[in-house]
Amino acid sequence: MKVLLVRLGLLALVLAAWELLPRHGIVNPLLLPPLGDVLATLGELLQRGQVREALGVSAMEVLLAFVIAVPLGAALGVLIAENDYLGEVFKPMLFIVFAIPKSIFLPLFILAFGTGIQQKIAYAAFTTTFVVLMSAAAAVESVKQDYLLVARSYGATRLQILSRVYVPSMLPILLETLRISMIFNFTGVLIAEMYASRTGIGHLIASWGENFQMKQLFAGVILLAVAAILFNEALRWMEARVSAWRT
Amino acid sequence: MTFAIDVEGLSHNYGGTVPALEDISFSVAAGRFTVIVGPSGCGKTSLLMMLAGLRAQSQGRIHCLGKPIPEPDPQRVGVIFQEASLYPWLTALENIEFPLSLRGTPKEDMRRRAEAMLHLVGLTGFGARYPHELSGGMKQRVAIARGLVQDPPVLLMDEPFAALDEQTRMTMGHELLRIWSTTSKTVVFITHSLTEAVYLADEVLVMSARPGCIIDRIPIDLPRPRNYEMMATDVFGRLRDRIWRQIRKADG
Amino acid sequence: MTLPSPVAMRRGILVALLVLWEAVPQTGLLPELFLPSLSSTLKVLWQDGRIYGHALVVTLYEVALAMAIACGGGILAGAAVGGLARLRKLLLPVVSSLYAVPIVILYPVFTAWFGVGSESKIAFAGIYAFFPVMLSTAAGIQTIDPQFLLAARSMGATLPQQIARVIIPASLPTVFAGLRLGGALAIIGVVVSEMLTAAAGIGYLVTLNRTILDSARVFAAILLILLLSIAYYLLSRAIERRFVVWQSAGKPLQPAQSTV
Repeated sequence: MKVLLVRLGLLALVLAAWELLPRHGIVNPLLLPPLGDVLATLGELLQRGQVREALGVSAMEVLLAFVIAVPLGAALGVLIAENDYLGEVFKPMLFIVFAIPKSIFLPLFILAFGTGIQQKIAYAAFTTTFVVLMSAAAAVESVKQDYLLVARSYGATRLQILSRVYVPSMLPILLETLRISMIFNFTGVLIAEMYASRTGIGHLIASWGENFQMKQLFAGVILLAVAAILFNEALRWMEARVSAWRT
Repeated sequence: MTFAIDVEGLSHNYGGTVPALEDISFSVAAGRFTVIVGPSGCGKTSLLMMLAGLRAQSQGRIHCLGKPIPEPDPQRVGVIFQEASLYPWLTALENIEFPLSLRGTPKEDMRRRAEAMLHLVGLTGFGARYPHELSGGMKQRVAIARGLVQDPPVLLMDEPFAALDEQTRMTMGHELLRIWSTTSKTVVFITHSLTEAVYLADEVLVMSARPGCIIDRIPIDLPRPRNYEMMATDVFGRLRDRIWRQIRKADG
Repeated sequence: MTLPSPVAMRRGILVALLVLWEAVPQTGLLPELFLPSLSSTLKVLWQDGRIYGHALVVTLYEVALAMAIACGGGILAGAAVGGLARLRKLLLPVVSSLYAVPIVILYPVFTAWFGVGSESKIAFAGIYAFFPVMLSTAAGIQTIDPQFLLAARSMGATLPQQIARVIIPASLPTVFAGLRLGGALAIIGVVVSEMLTAAAGIGYLVTLNRTILDSARVFAAILLILLLSIAYYLLSRAIERRFVVWQSAGKPLQPAQSTV
């Protein structure tokens, strides 16, 4: 309880500083508009059709990219985890893939799909697939060999093993995978939108920044940050509920 | 007769309120091997920490070799823990040298003494190995060597063989007795194993459940050197049984 | 049919990719606009060596400073949070929650504040890499056996000795992992920001040449970035393995999870 109060206190401190320091000119209000102004602008922006449309476009891109990446990444991840040979061949390569800035492939996607929506969805799906892949592989490997042995010794069929051992054992990890993949997915969409796009909230934020519209920019930042955190916490809560048995 | 370890009226509370140890008094003569047994949570480890100077007691007096021991004194008291706690970035030999290096001992001196200890615990030739290359029993031997390298007259051991399988335990216990017999150190040894207690000890102190106090002192009159065959004798069985009955009573 | 060893298989795949990179554009299967051949990419890289070299220097400079911020700050913060239970309980959940926010949304703020030059890239990449390094260090510090210090005390180690002879060596694997992670993420952060809004650096070259549809030059820049990040990865792993050879049970190194 005390910890929660301290955290809220810290948050209040930060928010107060954001409001007061620019308001009294200690920090240049042109660079950092006071929190009150930003929130007012946020309210105003949410009523604008252009903004709503951009949010809708981004949301759709996030969803579609996710829907593509998750099954694809999961299938590949399971494949790598189950097949020892493929695992040994590809795992070191995956480590390297994660060390590379995947954004360098954006031009390729633009060349292939133009600067429209498909390129953004394709790019985000591309980056997210790898994350899902790694997590899925780890999830499969985490299912303890013992559980499998017990099930097999009782004569469980493959399907039964899949549904009665793998799935419950993996459920918390699966939720965690979805949660983390979504973070990466969200980022992928935003980067694509900021790079070469004329639609989406990422593009809006980038152009607000270019035009020094700091109030709008910060309003957008707050909106996205809050949305990301809320989604993340919601999934974390669900994770906690299904993983009570996990040490 | 001066005692190597003299404990009088020792009491301790955790956090000032929860009683952990209650009015413990005992003495250990020099060169004797004393084993402490008791139910889990009775405070045996806390007692050992206080004997080692690693923790301060709430009340009572502890004298080690005639002087109080308010802080660790590795030249007086060597401590060996349940987990070997060898430093993984040092070789076996360097681990043994570690306490000496803390005092700025010259390199050749350290090397010579560490090698001697390595030989004493039967690990000659393994000095260059890293802990992750050693088995559980070997790690504990290195830990023992490390505890012995400053030649402290008193050795405290907190369930050092608990993490080992039974066969290794028996071998290690036997090894420990061999090492001890060549040195004449005073040993206080904590264990959960009654067999181990009877096999190793000159005297077994039985502690009660928390708050721990000493409920029985059982002298072990088996002849030395001890051997495995003794474990099958009636005398051994009766001694072990006596300890077991005391512990069951203590557990309430 | 016996399969080739995994190593051989990987090498084979790599060679096949290189061959395809050269052959596919040459045979006209894909237009040069979309996939310039390996040879034309290398040729352009060679011709414009000066330009690419200069861009590389700018990028490396930004990466170095971003890494200093992220690793310097991240490791210290992580050590503090991981080592002090009160701080940990207080801050760790907060930081984990913040991790969900795509840091890239802050980049326009940095370009508005610091301009289009290196400062905005360093600030962005520094913060981008900071949180993962901090989280990783905090986690790593907690894996240190608490009994190490107890043993040291029982052997009569003074506080300075405990720090220098126990805590620091015990933390080395965690610190090295943090450096490896921080460097990789710094590279990623710098490249992304250079691609978005910049006037110099390799990422900038990618965007510049893309807009004028000079695919060969785009690919040359991409290739350079690939080589840079792979080189850093191999180098840091080699160093880590060399110095932390004693790491118990040889835990497998985790890949740096980057969002881009």
